[in-house]
Amino acid sequence: MHRMIKKVGVIGIGTMGQGIAEMLASKGLDVFILEQSEERLRYGLQMIEISLDKQIEKWALTNSEKKLILSRIDSVSYYEELASCELVIETITEELEAKKEVFRKLDAICSESTILASNTSTLSLTELASVTATPDRVIGIHFIYPVLKVDLVEIVRGLKTSEETFARTKHFVDEIIMKKSVMVFESPGFVTTRLICLFINEALHVLEEGVASAEDIDNAMRIGYSFSHGPFEMADRFGLDSVLAALERMFREYGELKYRPSIVLKKMVRGGHLGVKSGVGFFQYDKDGDRIS
Amino acid sequence: MKVLVINAGSSSLKYQLYNMMDESVLASGRVERIGMDSSIVTHESANKPEVRDVREILDHVTAVKRVIDILVHPDFGVITSMSEIDAVGHRVVHGGEAFKHSVIVTQEVKAEIKRLFDLAPLHNPAHMMGINAVETNMPNVPQVVVFDTAFHQTMPETSYLYPIPKVLYRRHKIRRYGFHGTSHAYVSGEAARFLGKPIESLKMVSCHIGNGASCAAIVGGKTLDTSMGMTPLEGLMMGTRSGDIDPAIVPFVINKEELTLSEVNSMLNKHSGMQAISGLSSDMREIDEAMNAGDANAKLAFDMFVYRLRKYIGAYAAAMNGIDVLLFTAGIGENSASVRRAVCEGITFLGLELDDALNTERKKTVREISKPDSRVKVLVVPTNEELLIARDTYKLTNV
Repeated sequence: MHRMIKKVGVIGIGTMGQGIAEMLASKGLDVFILEQSEERLRYGLQMIEISLDKQIEKWALTNSEKKLILSRIDSVSYYEELASCELVIETITEELEAKKEVFRKLDAICSESTILASNTSTLSLTELASVTATPDRVIGIHFIYPVLKVDLVEIVRGLKTSEETFARTKHFVDEIIMKKSVMVFESPGFVTTRLICLFINEALHVLEEGVASAEDIDNAMRIGYSFSHGPFEMADRFGLDSVLAALERMFREYGELKYRPSIVLKKMVRGGHLGVKSGVGFFQYDKDGDRIS
Repeated sequence: MKVLVINAGSSSLKYQLYNMMDESVLASGRVERIGMDSSIVTHESANKPEVRDVREILDHVTAVKRVIDILVHPDFGVITSMSEIDAVGHRVVHGGEAFKHSVIVTQEVKAEIKRLFDLAPLHNPAHMMGINAVETNMPNVPQVVVFDTAFHQTMPETSYLYPIPKVLYRRHKIRRYGFHGTSHAYVSGEAARFLGKPIESLKMVSCHIGNGASCAAIVGGKTLDTSMGMTPLEGLMMGTRSGDIDPAIVPFVINKEELTLSEVNSMLNKHSGMQAISGLSSDMREIDEAMNAGDANAKLAFDMFVYRLRKYIGAYAAAMNGIDVLLFTAGIGENSASVRRAVCEGITFLGLELDDALNTERKKTVREISKPDSRVKVLVVPTNEELLIARDTYKLTNV
C-alpha cells in the first residue's frame, strides 16, 4: 500500500498556487510552497493571509483556525526540501519550457511513489511527462478559480499516466480534499478551460459588435443563467493574460477560428489591463479584489 | 474486570481505564494531533509518573497501539498485559433512530453507524476510526458503543417532529435527536439516588451547560423533550453557538451578505453565542469577570444566556406539568454560582428557593443548593459520561 498523502508540495505561488496551498492547508494537509524568489514567496503568503482574513470577516473561519491553517504552510527554498512530499503540484505560469524544467527537477529528487502533478489548463501532460524518467506518475490536477470555493477538479490523464497514479489521485481529490473529480483525457483546454474560454471570447465579440455593454452582458448571463459572475468579471478574475494565453494555445493546437482571441482582449493585455490582479480589466477592483466599479 | 473508555475525535483520542470492581479510574490520558509527525501523548495514573511525549502518530491504529504500550509499560503502566483489558467502550455522538441503548459492536452495528455519517459528519467517522483501531489492536476484546442521542430516544413524536413537510422526515430523518444524552442520563440517575427517591416519581429539568449547552425535561427517568435538535446548534445560547433563532434569518443573511452555506453554518456555530454578544470571549468565567469589572457587553451576554435558559426551564416545567428537581451540570453548571443564582432568582414562582450559602460552596460531589423547604430541589451534579460508558460496557459484556 502506498503512503497516505499528507505532505504536498506546491510550486509557484501565484493566484492559483495561493488558492491551492490555502485549500490544502485548510483540509489539514502539510503544505510546502516553493517560488523563484523570497519576495514572491512573501507576497504569496501575504495574499493567503488576506484571503483567510476575508473569510474571518465572512464568519467562515475563526482566528485560531486561521493560525492553524497558516501553521501548516511552510516556505521552502530548494527542490530538495520537497523530496519527502507524497504529492507535488506544479502551478507556475503556463509556459511549456519552464514547466518542463520543473518536472525534470522533481523527477530527479522525489521518491518514485511521489505523484507529480501539474495544474496546467492547456498544456500537454504527455509532453511534460516526457522529460521525466517516470512518466507513469505524472498527472494533471486542474483546479478552478477560486480554488477554495469551486468543488470541481479535472484529473487529466496523459498518455503514460498509470492506472495506479490515477487511482491515488482520484482518492486524494474525492476523499481527502473532498472535491468532485471528473476524469478527462489529455486535450488542449480539457473540458472546463475549453468551454469557458470560448464563452468569454464570444462575449468579447458581442461587445465588439456593440450589441450590449460589458455590464449588461455580464448581468444577462449572471442573472439569466445563474452564473456567479458574468463572462467579463470572470475573465477579470482569471486574469486576462491567462485567458489570452489559453485561447492562443487552443487556437494553435486545434487550428480552428473559433479559438482566435478577440482583438479587444489582446489590446487590453498589451495595455496592462489584466483584471483583478492589476486593478483594472473590464471593471475596476480594489487591492482585496473586491469590485469597485 | 477492567474497561477502557475511548472518545475518538478526528485528530484526538481520549481514554480512561476503569477498574469496575470499585469504579475507580486506574489511568487516563489523551493523544492529540493524530495524523501529524508531532503528536502529543499525555498520560497519568495514581501512583506512577506522568507521561508526556511527542512523536509521529499518523493514524488511530497507531494511537491506540501507543495507548496500550503506555498502559502496560513497566514504569508508567498500570496493568501487566493487554489481556487485562476485558472490554472497550466508545462514545459515539449520533445513534440516529436505530440505537435506543448502548450495544455491543458487531458488523451490523458498524454498518449502521456508517449510515449515520450524514447526520454527524464531523463526529461519527472519527468514532468509527477509533472502533476500527481497537479492533486492529485488540481483535478479541468486545467493544461497546454508547450514543449521545440514545437516552433521548424516549421522546414522543410531539417532541421530536418539526412542523415542516413530513416528507423531509421520511427522506432524510430530519427530526430532533438531542445530545449530551449520556450526561443527562448519568446526572438524573445520580440526582434520584442522592434524594433517595425512585426516579420514576420525579420530574426533572437537567441543565448540562458547558461550552455546548442543552437542557432536558426528564419525567420518570425518561426524556420528554430536550433543547438540542437534529444538530447541537438548537436550543440554548452557547459559547459560540447561537441556539434558537428565527430560521428565516438564515436565507435572509445568505442573501444580504452573499454567504455560502458553509459560511453561514460557521457563523452560527463558531461566531455566535456568548462570543458574539460579549465581543470578548466564549468562556463564561471570562465573561463573569468582565461583567463584574463593569463591561456592558459581557453583562448583556450573561443576561441573555440566563434569560434563555430560564425560558427553557419554564417551558419544560409547563411541558411536564410540574417540576420536582432542577439540576445543573457540566463546566458552567458545576462551577458558576453566579449563573445558578441568576437563573433561580427569576423562577421563584415555581416554588424554588436557592440557598445562597450552599450555592457558593465549592465541592466536587453531588449537592443540594436549595433551601430545605424549597418545593423544587435544586442540585449540582458533577457529570461523568466516561463512567456511564464504562458501566454500560461492563453491563453488556459481563452477562
